[in-house]
Amino acid sequence: MTRTFAVTLTIPDNEAFTAFETLGRLEIPAARVQRADIWIFEGDLGDDLAATIGSIETIHNPNKHRLVERPADRPEHGEVWIATRDEAPATLVAGRSLPGVRAIRRRTAWRLLDDEGRSVPPAVLDRAVETFLCNPAFQVAITA
Amino acid sequence: MSVANGKQQPRVAVVVFPGTNSEDETVRALQAVGLDAGLVHWSQPEALARFDAFVLPGGFAYEDRIRSGAVAAHDAVMDPVIEAAQAGKFVLGICNGAQILAEAGLVPGTGPLRRPTAAFAPNASGRFQSVHVHVRLSVAPERVPILAGIEPGAVIPAWASHGDGRLAAPADELARIERDGHLAFVYCDRDGNPMPAPNGAALDCAGLVNRAGNVLAIMPHPERDAWTFQHLDGSRDAARGDTAATLAPSGGIVFFEHFARALRKRVPA
Repeated sequence: MTRTFAVTLTIPDNEAFTAFETLGRLEIPAARVQRADIWIFEGDLGDDLAATIGSIETIHNPNKHRLVERPADRPEHGEVWIATRDEAPATLVAGRSLPGVRAIRRRTAWRLLDDEGRSVPPAVLDRAVETFLCNPAFQVAITA
Repeated sequence: MSVANGKQQPRVAVVVFPGTNSEDETVRALQAVGLDAGLVHWSQPEALARFDAFVLPGGFAYEDRIRSGAVAAHDAVMDPVIEAAQAGKFVLGICNGAQILAEAGLVPGTGPLRRPTAAFAPNASGRFQSVHVHVRLSVAPERVPILAGIEPGAVIPAWASHGDGRLAAPADELARIERDGHLAFVYCDRDGNPMPAPNGAALDCAGLVNRAGNVLAIMPHPERDAWTFQHLDGSRDAARGDTAATLAPSGGIVFFEHFARALRKRVPA
């Protein structure tokens, strides 16, 4: 069984803003950049998994994060996930194991938005990936 | 060039990004070998024109956002550094500076600019590591004119202090790095015998050099083993209580002496 969670900041996301600034320097048209930490859990996962990880501040600090379960372990339309190539899945979070969890994989999700809040065309996202968001020497970009 | 003690000294810019943290000790090491070194902040790219060489020091430029070195590699201050590197000027990157050079495509320099073909990726341990190490020159000295006069197989002491120091690249690129002499330094013991990279780096790589040998990226910090009090062996204990001996140059300063020699050959007085 696999369950996927996205963690986003509810306070200003400095990393997303820095990406926005750099993409602007690269003349990649985007009005806004969104970022999320993706956590993919595999194993015999209990119903209380969301509550468990929601209480682990390494993943989710309620004062500044929003935790949302995703319906699938792949990117949504208009989104790219950056993963480490040849990633060895983790089994622990903050030094502790979680009930039933056999593997934990992490991704960074990026979405570029235009002036009207729509995802930019795929070609623009591809250019952002190729020029900045992904280093293919050790990372892989996963799109919908 | 500037004049010091009646002699012309090559000018070296130590480029500071937001998050750089090793600029002062890097300047001190460069000044200790007689170079006219000064800080240039990221907001002053126009100031770089008057320098003969460039050093990107260690730290966490832009908080390592997105990837280590990735944002800095695209910073405007890197435009003149890249132009200078292409014109043959010396560019040295230490730790975070090495990560920036890899992201800028200057090392190993086998692909287009700012399209990295290799990376100093997160350590295999998944953790930040700070350990005293030795690195050995693993190419012929002629491959590194940026370190003029360095002995074949020279061993340099340094501190490896990074979370992202593991050389990673596709298999064909790693083969190219090794075959074409880009693997400038590897980890070793104090006698120069091979030892596994503490960070899991491919090829046990501690440093990369470009094709022309004027751009060098080294992950461990020789400037943090520049004086005896920083050196982790008996010499530090033996010097205890003797101020002059404690403050005497250590093995890491040799690295900068070769850099200074290279600059003086390239930029004659």
